[in-house]
Amino acid sequence: MIFEQIFDSINIGIVILDRDLKVYGWNRWMEVHSGINKEKIKGKQIFDVFPNLNTPKFIRGCKSVFTLGSFCAFSPRLHHYLFPFKKTGYSNQRFEYMQQSCRMGPIRDENNEIKYLFIYVEDVTELACREQIIHEMNLRDGLTGVFNRKFMGERLKKEFSRYKRYGGVFSIIMFDIDYFKKVNDTYGHLCGDFILKSVSSKVVSLIRDIDCMFRYGGEEFCCLLPETEIDPARVVAERLREEIALQENIFEGNTIKVTMSLGVAVVEELDDSYERLLQRADEALYKAKAEGRNRVVVSG
Amino acid sequence: MPESYTLTEEEREILQELMNIAFGKSAADLADVINTHVELRIPDIKLMPISELPAYVQEKIKGYTNIDMVEQSFYGRFKGDAVLVFSQGAGRGLISLLQNDEHEALESDPIDILETETLMEAGNILISACVGKFAEMLKDVVTYAPPMVVFNKHYSEAISLNHDKKDMAAIVMKTDFTFTKGDVSGFLFLITAQESIKWLKEALQSFMEQYE
Repeated sequence: MIFEQIFDSINIGIVILDRDLKVYGWNRWMEVHSGINKEKIKGKQIFDVFPNLNTPKFIRGCKSVFTLGSFCAFSPRLHHYLFPFKKTGYSNQRFEYMQQSCRMGPIRDENNEIKYLFIYVEDVTELACREQIIHEMNLRDGLTGVFNRKFMGERLKKEFSRYKRYGGVFSIIMFDIDYFKKVNDTYGHLCGDFILKSVSSKVVSLIRDIDCMFRYGGEEFCCLLPETEIDPARVVAERLREEIALQENIFEGNTIKVTMSLGVAVVEELDDSYERLLQRADEALYKAKAEGRNRVVVSG
Repeated sequence: MPESYTLTEEEREILQELMNIAFGKSAADLADVINTHVELRIPDIKLMPISELPAYVQEKIKGYTNIDMVEQSFYGRFKGDAVLVFSQGAGRGLISLLQNDEHEALESDPIDILETETLMEAGNILISACVGKFAEMLKDVVTYAPPMVVFNKHYSEAISLNHDKKDMAAIVMKTDFTFTKGDVSGFLFLITAQESIKWLKEALQSFMEQYE
């Protein structure tokens, strides 16, 4: 009597399955979120109602509970959810379904024989959301919203080890805004910030989804173009140069146009690290500056 | 050490034999759950003060440079901690073994999350197979805390016990294991809490009485 009340009032889902994986228990939380009454689901094979559970991991979990008496966990980081329920609350558009942290374990009879297993389902959508926000904040530049320099290092390192291990190709473009100091001096730093944001979002709109843009520092940026040879990389750089030069940035009634200098490099056999590749792109960028700015220079 | 916290030679032998049988049964159950054979070698049993444990564990695993560990506490009359030590990177070998191909985790570092979760799952299964079977033979039932994964440590950092009773004794059962598929091996240490030792001695006694 007491336990039944707790069973139905507790703010987590509780499912009890027998050894044939037929539903034996289904608490009110599960009724509310699934829209299925316990009378309806009792005795049904769980896979008939939730075919998505029919995975090697879930089956292995059930087996380890019944055979070994294990307790196992299905973390939201890897699995997101076991039961596809609508998410609750208003705030987040990040997830399609409620994010769940689930635990599974044995229920024994008076002779210690394992007769059933339980599954606890906890709604962790809010937590998963916050975790994702913090995770993203750690990767992105606060002003422009593009990836930060720290993440650039990690990403280029990964791309470089993939290249060393499996071959393939990738290119990078280093670029900066010409005479950016003049913008700051003439129109003020708020305008400078506006230009940085405006250039960043234009560049992001011009590159592919698989490409990444990073803020290297100040008015200097970098784009990573995976699976891209030097010629198409140069074409991309040229296009970025043209589009930015054409773009009219309107700040407090002033129309400001800026140009960019760009250095392009493709990864080569001789590069012993991604830093070496960055350095080559940087040298090309300096050459572009020295040759009069508003241009693309290819390394090598 | 008070006498009640030591093991007689006979008790040690029974314990060893018992663990042998238990691990044999565990291996059979494990094969059923994860579809691969796990070889568990004859356990080595030592009784020692907890303060000596880190040095003992480090000595055993010094063949590894960097390690990944799974730690899990278990509770019953048989109570203590299980520590699994793998050579660093074992998680990747286990991923294919457990056919975990659920790559659609978070955008960044999915492989790290997958590796952690796989180590956690494999560790959980291995620990509960060994501990559970052993406890069952002594007519005990244990429950488990969620496992913790410790990643990429230098071997000398294994077991950093923040135990406040360092003079307490522990029975340490060490075995090494190899998954026949996936090229993964490591060590399992079962560290029995002192409050379990009295129970263990009695349980060993009544286990023997069945055969007398």
